[in-house]
Amino acid sequence: MSAPTAPTEDRAPDALGQGTKKSRGHQSRPPAPPLSAIARRRSLTGWAFIVPAAAIIVLVNFWPMIQALFLSLKTGRGTRLHWAEPLWLNYQRLFQDENFRLTLGTTFLYLIIQVPIMLGIAMVLANLLNAPWLRFKGFWRTAIFLPCAVGLVSYSLVFRQIFATDGLANDLLMQFGILDDPVNWLGQTGTARMVIILGLLWRWTGYNMIFFLAALQNIDRSTLEAARVDGAGGFKTFWYVTMPQLKPIILLCAILSTNGTLQMFDESFNLTAGGPGNTTMSVSHYLYNVSFRNSPNFGYAAAISYAILIIVAILAAIQMKVGDKRD
Amino acid sequence: MTKTTLRRIPAYAFLTVAVIFSVFPLYFMAVSATNTSNDVIASKLLPGGHLVDNFKALVDAQPLGSAAYHSSLNAVVTTVLALVLCSLAGYAFEIYHSRAKDVVMGILLLAIMIPFAATMIPLFRLFAQVGLVNSTTAVVLPLIATPFLILLFRQASRTFPHEIIEAARLDGLGEVSIFTRIYLPTMKPTLAAAGVITFLFSWNNFLWPKVILVDNKYQTLPMLLSNMRAGYVTDYGSLMLAVLIVSVPTMVVFLLLQRSFAEGVTGAIK
Amino acid sequence: MKKTRSLGALGAALTLTLALAACGGGDSGSGSDETAGGSGGTGDNTLTVWAWDPAFNIYALQEAEKVYQADHPDFKLDIVETPWDDLQTKLTTLAQSGETDQLPDIFLMQNNAFQKNVINYPDIFADFNDSTVDYSEFPESVVAYSTVDDTNYGVPFDNGTAIGAYRTDVLEQAGYTVDDFTDITWDQFLTLGKDVLAKTGKPLLTGQAGSSDMIMMMLQSAGASLFDDEGKPTITDNKALMSAIDMYGQLVKAGVFVEVNSWDEYINSIVNSATAGVVQGVWISGSIQSAADQSGKWAVTNVPKLDGVDGATNYTANGGSSWAISADGNTELASDFLDATFAGSTDFYDTILPKSGALANWLPAGESDVYNEPQAFFGGQPIYADVLKYAAKVPSNNTGAYYYEGRDAVSVAVTNIMNGADPASALAEAQSTVEFAMG
Repeated sequence: MSAPTAPTEDRAPDALGQGTKKSRGHQSRPPAPPLSAIARRRSLTGWAFIVPAAAIIVLVNFWPMIQALFLSLKTGRGTRLHWAEPLWLNYQRLFQDENFRLTLGTTFLYLIIQVPIMLGIAMVLANLLNAPWLRFKGFWRTAIFLPCAVGLVSYSLVFRQIFATDGLANDLLMQFGILDDPVNWLGQTGTARMVIILGLLWRWTGYNMIFFLAALQNIDRSTLEAARVDGAGGFKTFWYVTMPQLKPIILLCAILSTNGTLQMFDESFNLTAGGPGNTTMSVSHYLYNVSFRNSPNFGYAAAISYAILIIVAILAAIQMKVGDKRD
Repeated sequence: MTKTTLRRIPAYAFLTVAVIFSVFPLYFMAVSATNTSNDVIASKLLPGGHLVDNFKALVDAQPLGSAAYHSSLNAVVTTVLALVLCSLAGYAFEIYHSRAKDVVMGILLLAIMIPFAATMIPLFRLFAQVGLVNSTTAVVLPLIATPFLILLFRQASRTFPHEIIEAARLDGLGEVSIFTRIYLPTMKPTLAAAGVITFLFSWNNFLWPKVILVDNKYQTLPMLLSNMRAGYVTDYGSLMLAVLIVSVPTMVVFLLLQRSFAEGVTGAIK
Repeated sequence: MKKTRSLGALGAALTLTLALAACGGGDSGSGSDETAGGSGGTGDNTLTVWAWDPAFNIYALQEAEKVYQADHPDFKLDIVETPWDDLQTKLTTLAQSGETDQLPDIFLMQNNAFQKNVINYPDIFADFNDSTVDYSEFPESVVAYSTVDDTNYGVPFDNGTAIGAYRTDVLEQAGYTVDDFTDITWDQFLTLGKDVLAKTGKPLLTGQAGSSDMIMMMLQSAGASLFDDEGKPTITDNKALMSAIDMYGQLVKAGVFVEVNSWDEYINSIVNSATAGVVQGVWISGSIQSAADQSGKWAVTNVPKLDGVDGATNYTANGGSSWAISADGNTELASDFLDATFAGSTDFYDTILPKSGALANWLPAGESDVYNEPQAFFGGQPIYADVLKYAAKVPSNNTGAYYYEGRDAVSVAVTNIMNGADPASALAEAQSTVEFAMG
């Protein structure tokens, strides 16, 4: 794991809960004297509680990833793999691979457009749902979250049906006079990408909203009161008082969404099958094709997966840096 | 009064649009389950009378019962084990806090970034070597310990008063008993939140079961869904019914647990 | 209060899923059985098979089992429904991790993927060198799919011979009969198509945008491929390919060929009478016949051929599949079973044809009465016997290990050309994409 993995030790967890230092009583205590027998036993108990989960994470994530690292240094088709010459051949290959460039670019496009819109809408919805005057809160919240309960394969099938040329979307838009002729949604690069983004928004906005809503409900009411007393308007209060307190959760959602988008597979595979002309294909879908559709090249596939890992790590690091600065 | 009401109209309008956007595809899915294949392709928006026919066709053509059984088994086992393992670890990371444990937590968090497609083949080889292909163990193991859930429990534990633990220790309670008898009962909302998230994920998981369950006798519902599109002719009425049937359990779980779910997420984000 | 709610929720969810499990039938209860389910332990007279379509190849297997049981009463098939996509993933995973004993004794393989898998994973396939299968009884082009270095690795099953199927009622409206579409060239087809469009408002063909099905069919009809005999890509300087893409562009531009987005829309255009014809593998007849109201209004003939291309014919194919035998399984029994049924039983093919529309590649089957029976849906034409005659004339084409890379690259090129890109440079780009993938 030589990756420039920035979510370093305790910054990542701390980024989550603001004011964690305050509530974590034992940290403000003076340094502990040499461990007594009891303290040592407790520490061991702690480790014993952690080991089962940690061991499984190592076994099912880190161990295979190390194997994949060795694999990424090999080349050859099928099972006839041998050490690459030079060893970093597959990584060199990445820079010449038009398909990798195309699919990575498309994936970034999804990321840059979809994640901010999603988090923005989720934030607006969460604020509305948190408003004291709002009625039927349970109804709104449930209805907006419900798409998250639908599987990825299922919703891709439904969306494909809706955006068919003779599908519902065209029927409705034409009925309301918004369109004169049916649009070939999935047949053109621009609109096909839009449908994928729309699908991602549909599936995940409610999920993020729930987290924002939870964070809003935890905000110290006295700070809001103080702002009002100082004469700050609704928007100013939100921007200067609420937002800073929401920063950790926004950061978490941004990191998880970035990660999820970069690993996105099902929508590309089931909704558009990568078309037209591979222009909606995600990089994970390309990875799948290299492994299972094309003449299998697992060394190269492993290199692609390391590239994804490194990009996710860099983006997470940037997001945390930006998140820190605004303190 | 009227002025504030007026100001609230855009808010309600926005929410209404959001709800329509959210619910409409679900409505289409439900309505399609009652229509014939050709009506689905023609995007008929009114309920039809073919629900029973679609169900019969579905049950005749697909091992629905077997897939539902395996999906339920996998999801329930995954959820229960994930709750046990991750609550234990999250609790320990906070209550027995130390610098070394922070480092371990940081390392474990890196696992979130590993793309599954990268680990799939080595993981398969690992399970194959110990003879666990086609086993529930192999389906479940990669999902039961996730850094995200551990984090959720750790954050939730921050509000758990340490004084209670000290008091319990003075009363002579063992460390395990403190966890099971004192800590866990106060964590019901967090357990609900973690449970809902795990259940949704496990129920809808596709790629890994598809790979490790070499023998399709053990297939799960999402695998069955993708099977239905494999032939030369697809019956969209029963396909949509299958989509609906696969979606209903997760929706029910969420609807019933949603209050605890929201409380749990709130508690963890504090 | 809260406790009962959570418990109630869990209870409800469990009840629901268990209720589902109970009412569905199927082989529930097998979940506790954690032993590996591959071929190894299934006894001497049982073969495990993977195939994907219950109405088609799985049905065929079940009938083949009955036929073979007549002479081998203890024989049993254990058929596991495994979609193609899934089968390829599993095959790759198992081969890649060396767990080949988990493979079934027999598995079905798409013809286009056959050489790719044999070349990459030679160890998992048993060859048919010692078997009694008579390959001269199958069309040469079909045998070629599962042949690598002159060794046979498969028994052909599903017939992918292309047909030109037309709506006689629409043609009549425009003043034509199906004979006007027999043994013609694509140029003639284009002229006819414009006329039919002008007189009836219907295109002659529809197809999935971004799929190179039509172009690959045109290519094979001239005996051309995307690769030469040594496996090198020949996407540039490929006269047949250029001519096929050019013709495709003209057809689309004239509105004679209407592009749709998905497979569903394609099928829909056929059953909803939005098109006057179909050029596709014969297996499409299943979908055509699903529109019961069109009975008697269809006729089948051969497909148009390319103009000015050497070796052009009116015959081609799309799709189709063959049976492979796992080297780790019970190879002797498996090859004997296939030989006695799929490569040797007229009765068997006679049984499966009417119910599943599974058309044989095995030429002797065409002589039976069942194959020569007039089909009411197709105006009394004995289409199955006709198609088997076409099958024998289909030119072979080279698939090789990089078929999918080639096909995908050409699809991208065609999409770009349709959007106005220069054909020569688009194809040059496709060539370099494939060369890169092979490097």
